[in-house]
Amino acid sequence: MRHLRWLLVPIIVVPLALLLLSGFGRDPREIASPLIGQPAPTWTFTTLDGDTLSTDELAGRPYLVNFWASWCIPACVDEHPVLASAFERHGDELTVVGVLYQDSPADAEAFLARYGDAGYGHLIDESGRLAIDYGVTGPPETFFVDADGIVRARQWGPLTDALVDERLASIGIGR
Amino acid sequence: MKAWLPAVALGGALALVAMVLVFAVQPEPAPTAAERTDALAGELRCPDCQGLSVADSPTRSAQEISRQIDVLVADGATDDEVRAYFVARYGDWILLAPTSPAAWIIPFAVVIAGAGALGAWLIARRRPAHQPKRGISTEERRRVREEAEALDA
Repeated sequence: MRHLRWLLVPIIVVPLALLLLSGFGRDPREIASPLIGQPAPTWTFTTLDGDTLSTDELAGRPYLVNFWASWCIPACVDEHPVLASAFERHGDELTVVGVLYQDSPADAEAFLARYGDAGYGHLIDESGRLAIDYGVTGPPETFFVDADGIVRARQWGPLTDALVDERLASIGIGR
Repeated sequence: MKAWLPAVALGGALALVAMVLVFAVQPEPAPTAAERTDALAGELRCPDCQGLSVADSPTRSAQEISRQIDVLVADGATDDEVRAYFVARYGDWILLAPTSPAAWIIPFAVVIAGAGALGAWLIARRRPAHQPKRGISTEERRRVREEAEALDA
């Protein structure tokens, strides 16, 4: 009976410790998106430039949807050149769509004037409906949709050059 | 004892049962759309808060979700359809109470197993192996007999 007690260490203590340790490797605020592998939400919106953009126009073309806000500092500021560079490098085969997340068009325009307007469109999601459709918890958050209109990846938090290349590969860009 | 007394008693008892049934089965008035929105908002997690429901939070996200619940309820969605709508977008995380029965069973099972293990350990400890034996062993009995015989001799 006495030596059986030592069996408890590998049977209970070690797995429990490993389970708890695994929690250190993830951010508890990051929630797995149920949209991965599902058809992307459809929408029609007015952009900051006053144009109309809809998912119908994006049919057959991979795109990324980036939720951002001028008040999202420093994450959205850090991410801005990463998106501009991705648009510059892959603009011929990729559409980049910005979405204003709880932000006013005037503030968003001031942000773009200050940090540079890469030239892609930004949707004015006044009611927050698109943010709900994508299950956004806070900016920046980016979704990668392939040419078939299926969500393939999500980036929670700011993108880096390495991350954007990795996520773009999942929708067939840069391979 | 009058012959009609049992009949009256039986009738009275039946009437009482009928009244209880009527009160128990009487349907509650259907909740209004606003009541349903409030109840559903209380079940959904506010996306940019720490453990608050949409109903309890004043943030813009919470207001937008609340407005969307209103729209869905007005469109005739059932409570389950409204929950499913948000789960499809945010995952099960959006529901404040877990839906999996395992989440309700496991904590109780762990507590019961732990109490059982503790009880078993305490019982095992209360009757240790070195407890003084009742009576004497045959070996001791034989020795006592030998010593007594030696004294007699």
